[in-house]
Amino acid sequence: MTAIQPTAMMSGRYQRAFTLAVIVLVAGWHLAGAGGQLLDHRSAYGSFAFQGAMWLVMAVAITVGSVLVLRGTLSWRSAWAVALIALAASTASAAASPAALMLAVNWSWGSAGWTGVLVLLRRRFAELAAFLAAEAVATLSVQAWDGLHRTDLAGFLAVLAWSTGGQVAVAAGVRALDMAAGHAAAAARTEHDARERAATAEVIQAARHARWLVLQESAAPLVAEMAAGTADPGDPQVRARCAVQAARLRRLMAEGDEVPGSLVHELHASADVAERRGVAVEIETAGLLPQVPGRARRVITDAAIAILTAARSRARITLAAVADGIAISFVADTGAGVRLPAAAEGVAIEQQQDGSMLWAEARWNSR
Amino acid sequence: MEQPVTVLIIEDHPVVTEGVASWIRSDPRQRVRLVQTARDLTGLRTRSGPSADVVILDLELSGELVTGQIPALVAAGYRVVAFSGHSDPAIVMETLDNGAHAYVSKEEGRDHLVEAVLAAADDRPYVTRSQARAMLDDQRPARPALSEQERQALLLWFQGMSKASVGRRMSISENTVRQYISRARAKYAATGRIAPSKDALLVRAIEDGVIKPDEIVPYRSFARAEADGPAWVFRASE
Repeated sequence: MTAIQPTAMMSGRYQRAFTLAVIVLVAGWHLAGAGGQLLDHRSAYGSFAFQGAMWLVMAVAITVGSVLVLRGTLSWRSAWAVALIALAASTASAAASPAALMLAVNWSWGSAGWTGVLVLLRRRFAELAAFLAAEAVATLSVQAWDGLHRTDLAGFLAVLAWSTGGQVAVAAGVRALDMAAGHAAAAARTEHDARERAATAEVIQAARHARWLVLQESAAPLVAEMAAGTADPGDPQVRARCAVQAARLRRLMAEGDEVPGSLVHELHASADVAERRGVAVEIETAGLLPQVPGRARRVITDAAIAILTAARSRARITLAAVADGIAISFVADTGAGVRLPAAAEGVAIEQQQDGSMLWAEARWNSR
Repeated sequence: MEQPVTVLIIEDHPVVTEGVASWIRSDPRQRVRLVQTARDLTGLRTRSGPSADVVILDLELSGELVTGQIPALVAAGYRVVAFSGHSDPAIVMETLDNGAHAYVSKEEGRDHLVEAVLAAADDRPYVTRSQARAMLDDQRPARPALSEQERQALLLWFQGMSKASVGRRMSISENTVRQYISRARAKYAATGRIAPSKDALLVRAIEDGVIKPDEIVPYRSFARAEADGPAWVFRASE
């Protein structure tokens, strides 16, 4: 299981907490429960050394299992290897115990069962059930080998009930908590998605608002002046202002389309008004042009509008790929220099006047 | 007074032929004389020698692109100035690679066609803005290496500045601007397919001091180089 679902990632923290709880429970049981029982009955065993060795084997199995579980590198092979080692140690320990006292002095059944819970916790429930059943059968077989009495069977069932019952209960509990955590994470994700959608909507709304503000600042007063009669449409200056605003309106509409080549598209839109005025505008590109961010495009098209408005009869706009960016140049018969926007958003602007011809270049650097 | 340069127009639209003829006529010094017009290439194949110094060739005749016919025209001894509505850089590059002296787009015709014909008659490079664009656009692995100055001059020229303005911008003389642009063009003549017209351009560029022989690094394919030998080397040492 290497592919991690987003939901699983979010509920992962809860799962880790449950895993830690189980590790503490298993280790605590093995140290205090099984270890205490082992020391308590140390004189009863035929060989205390052998029992001690089995206890250590079990301790190692639990440690290895815990590390693998915490690292998340537990495969089904390693899980079952650890479980079977615990089962073997448990069975060997039971077989080496004195026949009549086997259940009374047994420390290993519980530890092996908890080890199984630890390593099989997040596998199919049937695997844990099979393991616990195999362990019960192994212990019962040892009992039967030693000679099975009715009291022994009753004792066996009692131990089975509280030991295995407890283990099954813990495994089922963790499973239920895992599911709850998954649900909680999914709910959180839905909420996160919803919040992200709202944020996107807000950005779009803000962009629209910004465009509206731009129009309020520049186009609205002009329209108001013309309506009031204070601006005379016959006045060349008023006509120039109208041309600029018309070009800006077209650019605003073009800005909505985020397509490759947005800049060329917006420059065409900016040129449209000048063309209607009879200015011959040519736009040419050279090389593979990089994508220019929206705000830098705004600086460039502002320069274009200023130059195209001042152009008398012709203008040439070129876009050329240059090292690390793009050079957008304008050559137009403006007659005189044009006030161009200041360098901003990574766009540097230069101009040179040769007689009536203006050359200007806006360079945007991608770095 | 010098003999005028003779020119042949191959163009399938009579209106365009008439327009080109009027540009030729309007040259105040009458440096070019139109001697023949043709609507296709068939008549040219039967002739023994070239009937004019320069051919103005429309790249699209009867709806077909004829860039592939340029090597045959060049082999017949014509100098070709391509004149086309196709300003796609790839087509411009193919036209030059096939041995055309210059490329003039239809929009550039009025300002550049006569000058391009005159330059071609002298085997001198003439780089129009659309040709500069194709050179700037060139991404082929075998493209010649242009210097920073050559690229900058080509870029400013492509942008639409006059050569004098390019010179002011780069703080160099107008003559040096021409030198940079011509040298970039000469480097192209040394690459790709072998053609006598490209050799002639190179020889003239070396004679004019536009480029030194050791600045030319031919990128021709080995197969071709072995079969034909880099002809310009022999011509250059004549």
